Amino acid sequence: MTRDPRAFFALDLGAATVSAALVARLAGRWRLLGALALPAGVDVGTVCRTLAERTVRADPGVATAAHVDPDALEAVPTVTVRSHAPRRLAVVAASERALAPLAGAAARTGWSVVAGSAEALDPLGMSRLLLDPDVGAILAGAGDPPGADERGPLPELAALVAAVAERRPELTILLAGAVTDELARFGDVGARPGEVLLGAAAGGGAGGHGLDELLTELALPPDDTRRAAAIGVATLADVVGRRVEYVEIGYDAGMRTVAEPSLGRDGSSVASAVVVSAALVPPEPDDQLLDRVLGWTTLAIDRHRLRDRLRELRSAPWADAAGDGAVVRLAAARAALGRLLDATRELDGGSPPDLLVAGGGAWAVAPGPVIALALADVLRRPGASQYAFDHARLLGPLGSIADPDERRTVLADLADDMLVPLGSVVTPAGLRVGRSAGRLVVHGGAGVIELDLVPGGLELVDLPPGQTAVAEFRFRDTVRLGGKGRHFAVDVAGGLGGLLVDLRDVPMRLPDRHERRRELLDSWQASLWTGSET
Amino acid sequence: MTGTVPAPAGIELVPVRSLVETAVDLRVPLGPGDRALVEVGASVVVGSPLAEHFRETSLAEVSLPDGHGARPGDRWTAPQPSGRRANAPRPAGELLFEWRGAWRMAVGDQSEPLESPVAGIVREVTPGVRIVIRAAGRALRAAAAIGAPSRGRLELAAGPGGELRAGGLDVGRAGTILVVGSRVDAETLTRARAMGVRGIVVGGLPSKERRDFLASEARQRAALHRLPPFAVLVLDGAVRRPIAGAVVTLLEALEGREVAIVGGPAALVFDEPDVVLALPPSDLVRVRSGPSAGREGRWLASLGVRRFERGVQLEAAQVLFPEGPGIVPVGDLERFG
Repeated sequence: MTRDPRAFFALDLGAATVSAALVARLAGRWRLLGALALPAGVDVGTVCRTLAERTVRADPGVATAAHVDPDALEAVPTVTVRSHAPRRLAVVAASERALAPLAGAAARTGWSVVAGSAEALDPLGMSRLLLDPDVGAILAGAGDPPGADERGPLPELAALVAAVAERRPELTILLAGAVTDELARFGDVGARPGEVLLGAAAGGGAGGHGLDELLTELALPPDDTRRAAAIGVATLADVVGRRVEYVEIGYDAGMRTVAEPSLGRDGSSVASAVVVSAALVPPEPDDQLLDRVLGWTTLAIDRHRLRDRLRELRSAPWADAAGDGAVVRLAAARAALGRLLDATRELDGGSPPDLLVAGGGAWAVAPGPVIALALADVLRRPGASQYAFDHARLLGPLGSIADPDERRTVLADLADDMLVPLGSVVTPAGLRVGRSAGRLVVHGGAGVIELDLVPGGLELVDLPPGQTAVAEFRFRDTVRLGGKGRHFAVDVAGGLGGLLVDLRDVPMRLPDRHERRRELLDSWQASLWTGSET
Repeated sequence: MTGTVPAPAGIELVPVRSLVETAVDLRVPLGPGDRALVEVGASVVVGSPLAEHFRETSLAEVSLPDGHGARPGDRWTAPQPSGRRANAPRPAGELLFEWRGAWRMAVGDQSEPLESPVAGIVREVTPGVRIVIRAAGRALRAAAAIGAPSRGRLELAAGPGGELRAGGLDVGRAGTILVVGSRVDAETLTRARAMGVRGIVVGGLPSKERRDFLASEARQRAALHRLPPFAVLVLDGAVRRPIAGAVVTLLEALEGREVAIVGGPAALVFDEPDVVLALPPSDLVRVRSGPSAGREGRWLASLGVRRFERGVQLEAAQVLFPEGPGIVPVGDLERFG
């Protein structure tokens, strides 16, 4: 698709946002000419035309060279991905023990999950769960072989699920593990409109991964933004030759992908999870969610008003994005990122990524340094990473390019354009409380900067995008920064937030009292939120 | 001036909100044990019984005669016993699934009718799941509907930016659906229900009032002697904001007529073919959310990306409000179509 044309639109049609990026081949390489994102509901043709017109106004020569004519946009090819509203999956098992890994697998693969076991629900309650009109698919699973606590109730559970499948032939039914032995109860499965699929048992090993993949296939259609973004992240890791982690907080779900470069091996190593409960604001914000958002907000706001604002953010995700609305949005984003990390602990690995890429509408309107701090607030991993933001929402569309060589070429050309460098974040752990933990000397192009390292604080070093430096740390005591030691020299790259040396606790410990916590958070954030120019 | 005037340049960046929709499918959820009383294709009128809903449902095991041909979801009533047990109650309910030669059955107790709040055609009946009705007429979509579907005569009780207090209600409002302005509190809602008001239409319902009202509604639902159905239709969201001018115009045209509040999807349904829809001017925009929520003005120009409070960069537009021009993020705006 991209070999012949001089330009193409990369479209990401999300639940809250319609986003277009105009990519053109100039001087032998692909470049990002511009990007525009507007609320979902705005016609995608309007977004493309507006973007093309702005490109022409900004640089008519470039527009001509790229063959971009706002009056002939139908000639410009597109790569398009979409995010879909999560479907609801009812997960059932014979026992609570067997249910947990099944529900966990479903929760990591893009489903909105309701779950119940024959141990906790009687057949009436189970029927009520499965017959809920919002349920779009059923996963009935068991161990393989089934555990002692499953063998007794399993046949009756299968009979109940088969009866529901007969009543609601449109439902997709997935039988996993030993429940597959009960397939005969489902009659002629080829004659029903909804599929009946067989999968491996959940929980570890190759079989468990098989179930994850099957659930992902069912939850996310081939043109799904997040499914494509996982491929995009893997390609990016290959292109930059670094360990890349992608965290996305969107309207309907959050996503986390960790990819290692293939380095000559067959295929890169990539692990990914899509978590519906990590959406920026779930449809009904409960008390637990409210507490987490309240824990990150710097506004003096009571629970009721905060719940009101979260409901508004859910119903109109593009509205109220400036002023206090921006602060609420970033507090909700931090809370959502926390939920995403909680749900994907198996992706943590041993060391922090070389490059952390943030994506999704939650971060889209915040100043770069604020995004960097929000990520550092929640991630809390000892080590050094470079942070970046997929500002044009390109990872999904580019990940959807089917030809791997073509995808790699385009991503290699666009990597610098598509990722806004937020800066480098260095987080040592194991600092002792005291007046000084040591000294930092930054050797950069602009000279040498020396800083005292005060435990519990944040040090911001101005290091603009495009600049690199060596940060030399000399700690009084042994700390963890990648490995253990007292002296470290870290290569750092600049960004909108510069170099952020995070000397706060790992994990973060914040005061219990709201007022004290708010003051502390505000002291870290205040200088990063800048003023208005309207 | 109407929507036929050409739209000004750049306004297409503002999402359009449909003022009314046609062909709205109303979904009535059923639980296991509930008995559907209509069939697919049937016409229903307002008040037609759709289903028998049971407040309490229990599980029973029944043995069916050989060759019964029963299927999950079928209704089953045990045959009349003979002899001395001839007068014993016969278990009846919905068959759930067959297990070891017998059937598990959902048996309901304390029935209450589910009546159709709208006229229309039944499009789907799935026992234990739902009934879907294609409503006749048109619908004004809303952000949320709370309570049970209800129907009544529409009455404007407060201005679009006003608020109705509990003291402003009396029994003279019984049988009406009241439009109460920008916000309402839980006390007014519970008093309105007690006075026989059938529904409330409001711009915004704060979470606290919503929680308090839902608790009151749950208590009322559990009571033996229930009041008539009562519903709250929240047009916009959780914060106070005046009702949109285009919506007010529509509600004024519907005043004194029968309308219904339904919850799946949340909407005000009306079957009044003679009510002509007046679309607002094509350059009219409304601030959807934020500190200026509810303000309306005329679109002047798209300004591109501007920096707003706290350094946030957003697509911006210049809008002429009654008090003068202002710069507003495009994401805060909506327009009606």
